[in-house]
This record gives sequence, structure tokens and C-alpha cells, in this order.
Amino acid sequence: MPVASTKTGLAARRWPVLAEAFAGEGRAWLFVFKTLLALYLAAWLAMWLRLEQPATAMITVGIVMHPHTGMVQAKGFYRAIGTLCGSTFGLVLLCVFPQQRVLFLLCLSLWVALCAGGATLYRNFMAYGFVLAGYTAAIVSLPAVGNPLGVFDSALMRVSEVMLGIVVAGVVSDLVFPDRLRLVLRQSAREHFAHFIDFVRGSTGGGIPREEMEQAHLRFVRAAVQLENLRASVIFEDPEVRARSTRMRLLNQHNMAAATSFQSLHHLINRLQREGRHAEVAALIALYHPIGAALTTAPEDLHDPAVLTPRLRDCAQRLPALEAELRAGLAPGRPQLAFETGATVLRRFLDELCGYAELELALRAHVQRGGVERVHFQRGNDASGAAVAVLRTFLTMTALSAFWIASGWTFGASAMLLATIFSGLFAATPNPLASAFTMLLGYVFGMLGGIVTAFWLLPGSDGFVMLIAATLPLLIIGPWLNAHPEFGSLGGGYAIGIVYILALKNPMVYDPALALNEAIAQLAGVALAAVSFVFVPRVTGSGWQRRRQFRRLREQVVQAASAPLDGLSWRFESVSRDLFHQAIVHTRPGSRQSRELLAWALAVHESGRALIELRQQLYASPVQTDVRAAVDRAIAAVAQLYRHPDPARRQQAEDRVREAIGACAAVPALRPRLYQLLGALRDDESPLATWMSAEEPAHAT
Amino acid sequence: MPREIAIYGVLVPGLLPLFLGCLLLMLLVDALIGRYGLHRYVWHPPLFRLALFACLFGLAGLLLLN
Repeated sequence: MPVASTKTGLAARRWPVLAEAFAGEGRAWLFVFKTLLALYLAAWLAMWLRLEQPATAMITVGIVMHPHTGMVQAKGFYRAIGTLCGSTFGLVLLCVFPQQRVLFLLCLSLWVALCAGGATLYRNFMAYGFVLAGYTAAIVSLPAVGNPLGVFDSALMRVSEVMLGIVVAGVVSDLVFPDRLRLVLRQSAREHFAHFIDFVRGSTGGGIPREEMEQAHLRFVRAAVQLENLRASVIFEDPEVRARSTRMRLLNQHNMAAATSFQSLHHLINRLQREGRHAEVAALIALYHPIGAALTTAPEDLHDPAVLTPRLRDCAQRLPALEAELRAGLAPGRPQLAFETGATVLRRFLDELCGYAELELALRAHVQRGGVERVHFQRGNDASGAAVAVLRTFLTMTALSAFWIASGWTFGASAMLLATIFSGLFAATPNPLASAFTMLLGYVFGMLGGIVTAFWLLPGSDGFVMLIAATLPLLIIGPWLNAHPEFGSLGGGYAIGIVYILALKNPMVYDPALALNEAIAQLAGVALAAVSFVFVPRVTGSGWQRRRQFRRLREQVVQAASAPLDGLSWRFESVSRDLFHQAIVHTRPGSRQSRELLAWALAVHESGRALIELRQQLYASPVQTDVRAAVDRAIAAVAQLYRHPDPARRQQAEDRVREAIGACAAVPALRPRLYQLLGALRDDESPLATWMSAEEPAHAT
Repeated sequence: MPREIAIYGVLVPGLLPLFLGCLLLMLLVDALIGRYGLHRYVWHPPLFRLALFACLFGLAGLLLLN
């Protein structure tokens, strides 16, 4: 667009202040335009289809439109499911308790509360599905409370309106200047691949300082979780990504596994270095060197999987010969065992790295061929936050119901409805107390705007064009506020408030008394939903929940020691990363808590992975019963240590692992894994180090 | 195909099952498009998908209900 750019260039030169003020406004206005288009389109279609309340479709558009427009499509799927579930529940509820208001309201409160809990538990766009399930149940059943016989028709109308709103919002955000999230996904996946390859290549020298390792771990975990989040959204937006979805999951898993193996290897090298065992360190670095060489290519191919994959495969074929040669150069006994341990981890790492590069290569092809193993990125959801959200919403809704029943308030249903919507919306926001009151303020402004529009601007207008002309000036404020993150949730409240009070209908009904009564009731509903956060505060991000997540992170090692082996390593890698990621975002970088968490995360990864490998090897190799018993005792002792860490248990775990190493003298396949476990327990930079006895017993191997 | 279908006494427009069927068909078409990367030959993929859906749904409605 040469013309436009020259124009803006001229404007920038003439009015630098203006150019500064409007920097980034383009995207905001695009969002405003799209939202208004969707709003009016929904209103027009609802009127054309003769639906009862076009306002419901408009409010749904207001709830589901989002500045990150690529996400709208992704959420549509879950929203539709949420709407269907919610409307069915509302219908069933009213059919079961047409005359029992107490039971009816109690059940409705419980349903809405469970939906708010679900919105808290699933932190991604699935949250919207839950919000809408609660909202639709209320919107279907509450207006029909006075007239149970008409509930079916009313439910049909509400569902049609909500669905219309969802479809219009989805189609508009997908068609009109779409914001392709797919490009972001591809960009970040390639960046992550490049970072990882660079990091592996850059550390051929051997030891990496613990500090650097922690930072790299943090970066990789963040990338892994973000890629999974993006993937889960983009599959709804783009069929090409959907066709690649299974492969992308496997790619992420291979990457996580390779990162863990890589860390284990470097922990081992670092430990040997600190113990002054230079011969083993030199041998391991020599063994590692070919990988670095395989990754060092011409500058333009540095991150090209098509070049890297054959080189890595070739390297993997040459590795055993080099390994035998280097092993022969070491003294038998402890040095060879240490080398064997490192070589086992290195082989595993190279295998995972090859898999990673191959998958990346397959993903970059235009045509996807064949199927791959199905893996899942398991989440470490914490139910405590959701339980608190359920309790809070239930209290809000029952308090409102009790007040409604006791006072015989004509507009109680409106208050309940608004409390439902906002409980769900608040449950999903990061800082609910502040945003709840901002939203309340926005709601008040929105209602004032609605009253002004409905009783001063709208009367006398004729036809749909005039309706747009009359409502546009005040309606436009909502999406504009929404597009500016600095206003927080002000825009959300405003947009819903103005549409609700406006209550566009065809033909329009003007009733100031009704509008004011509605306004008071709705305000009471929103306010109560906001106030409930004072009484039952949110736990997500609190110290209490962080401690819980921390404990669960440690218990991943217990899982690794005791859970069924099938698919365990995938599960372990993803859950431990997800838990770590959830906990770390609520700590300050560099603070004591953050460092402690990082240190434990690295220890958990190393020990957990070593345990899984050990168990797999134990399962595969034929060993005598007493050997198996010794290894099982060692595994149980390590699990005990991570369940309740203390000095005595650490010492016991170490003793058991040593005994197992002694017992496994005849089983060479198990010894490297046990030795790695022992190293992880004795690592003097891990959090377990504080309890370690200084001297090393003589029967070390 | 009947214009209206009675499900337990509730009359449902015959277009509704057609609509759902077309959605399923679109999923299938999308899977093919995604697997072979055919979107590279299209200027505006979402518009193309919507148009394709409109064609399918319109065709099915005209052929089966008219």
C-alpha cells in the first residue's frame, strides 16, 4: 500500500504528536470495526429471522468477541458445546421442578457454580465453553420461571439467539481481516527448534553452569507449554494445522524428552568435573563432540532439519565404535561405570534428538504422509482453585436466590442472570477483585449509555440504517475500550451493559420504568458477583496454591516410581512441565522462591526420568528375584524421599540405591541407570545437597 | 426427504439434519485439504471454506428438499 504509507508518512512529519497518539490504533480500530459489524449483523439477522430478543444474540457477540481474533474460531467449538449442554440442562431443570422454586434455584446455583469452576480449571479457551454452559442454562430457564408451560418455546428462542451470536462472531472474525494465529505458531515452533539446536551445539565444551542450565530450562519449558497452548487453539482455525496436530504433539514430546536427557547428561558431567574425575569427563566430552560437529553446518543450513537429520543419523551410527574405543581407555570399575552411565544417557539423547529433527522435517513438508504415535500433553490441573470458584459462585447464587424468594422481587431473574454471566467471566480473569470492580464501573457507564441511546437518540429513527446511526456513537466505546488492554475489563462491562439496557427489539418497546427497574436489578447481580471475591478470594497464584503445586511437582517422582509404565514417560514430561510453568509464572524472577522452584524442578526431572528408564529396563531384562527386590526397594526409597523430603530419607534412599548397584553386579544394563539415580541423589548443587553427609563411603561401586 | 421431521413429537426442520451432515462433510473435506496442503492454491482460505460450505449446504437443500 504505497499510497497509504506515504500519507501516514506525511502526517507523521506534520503532526508528530498525532502519529504518536495513533501508533497501534490501527489494530484497535480493526477490532472495533469487526465487533460492530458482528453486533449489527447479529441484530439484523435476529430481526430478519423474527427471533424474540435480538439483544441476546448481540450480548453473546459482546461476550465472545476478543481482540485476539484468531482465537475466536477456536473457542467457537467449545462454545457451541457449552451452549447445547447449558440449554439442555436449563430445560430439564425447569421440567423437573416447575413448582419447586427452592429446589430449582438450588440446582441452578449448583450448575452455574460448577460451570464457573470448570472455567477456572481449564485455563485455555475451554473456559469459554463453561462460561456459556452456565449462562445458557440461566438464560433458558430464568425468564420462563413465571410461565413454565412456555419453557420449550422460550428455550428454543434463546438457544437460536445464542447460537446465532456465536456463529456470526466466528464467521466475522474469521473472514474479515483475520489475524492468523497459525503464523505465530509456525514462527514460534521454528524459533524454538533453532534455540534448542543452538543450545545443544553451543555446549559441546562440556560443563554448563547450573545458573545457565536453570535459565535454559525455564526457556524451554515456557516454549513447550506455549507451543501446546497455541497448537490447541490453532487446530480449530486451520485444517492444515489440524492435519499436523498429532505430529506436533509428538514433536513437543520429543523435544521435552531430549531436553531432559540433555540436562541429565550435563548434570552428570558437571558432577564428575566437581569431583575432579577428569579422565571420565574428557571421555564423555569426546563422546559428545561428534554431535556438536554434526550440528555445525554451513551458516545458511544451521537450522534446516533437512540437512541436520541425515548428519545426526550418521553420527548415531558411528557412536558405538567411538564409545567402545573411549571405554577401553578408562580404568575398569568406577570410571567405566560413570562413563557407561553418561554414554547411556547420551545414546538416549541422540535418539530423541534425531526423532525431533525428523519430525520437524516432516512438519515442514507440504503434504503429510503416514500416521505417527498418538501422544497427549497432560495438564497438571489443580482442583483447589476450581473448588474455591465453585464455592464462591454457589454462595453468590444462593444468596441472590434467597433474597429473591424472601422479597418477592419482580426483577430477581435479571439479577440472577447477570450474576451468572459475570461469575463465569470473573472466574477466568487473572486478577478478579480489581477487574470485577472495573467491570462494575464499566457496566454502570454502559447502562447510562444505553438509557441515553434508548430514550433520547433512538425514538423517531426509522429503519435499520437509522438504528445503526442512533446506536453507533455510544456503542462504539465498548469495543474500543476492549481493544486497549490498559483499560482492563472496563470495556467488557460497558459492552454488555449498553446492549442489555438497550434491549433492541423489532418493533422496539420504550418503557423507562421497566428499563430503570432492570438496570437496578442487573447492577445488583453484577455487584454481588464482584463482592463475592472479597469473601471468598481467588486462590490461583496465591502462596497456598503455589505450595500445593510445588508438592505435586515433587510427587511426579512418586508417580514415576509407581504409576503403570504405559505412556508414563510422556505423561511425566508434560505434567511436570505444566505444573512447573503454572507455579513459576506467579513468582518474581530471581526471587528465592523462584530459584528454589527451579532447583527442585531440575532435580525432579533428572530423578523422575532416571526412575522411569530404570523401571523400563527392569521390566525388559530377565533378572533374579533378589536383584529385582533390591531395585524395587531402591525405587520405593527414592519415591519416599520425594514424597516427604528430609535428611534421613535421603540417606536411606542413597543407601538403598547403593545396595541395588551392588546387587546388580551381574546385570550391566541396570547399573548405569542406578548410578545416574545415585548421582542425582548426591548432586551437591541440587536442593537435596543441604542434607548430604560430606564423606563418600568406600563401597561406592 | 420430508420438510419437517418429528423427534418425540417435536417438529424439527428437515434442514437441521442436512446442516449437521454438511458440517461433518466439511470436516472430512478439511482433513483432505489439510493433509495435502491445498490451501496454498486459495487466496482467502476462510472465505473459501465458508463458500464451499454454502455450496454444499445449498446443493443438499435444493436436491433433497425441493
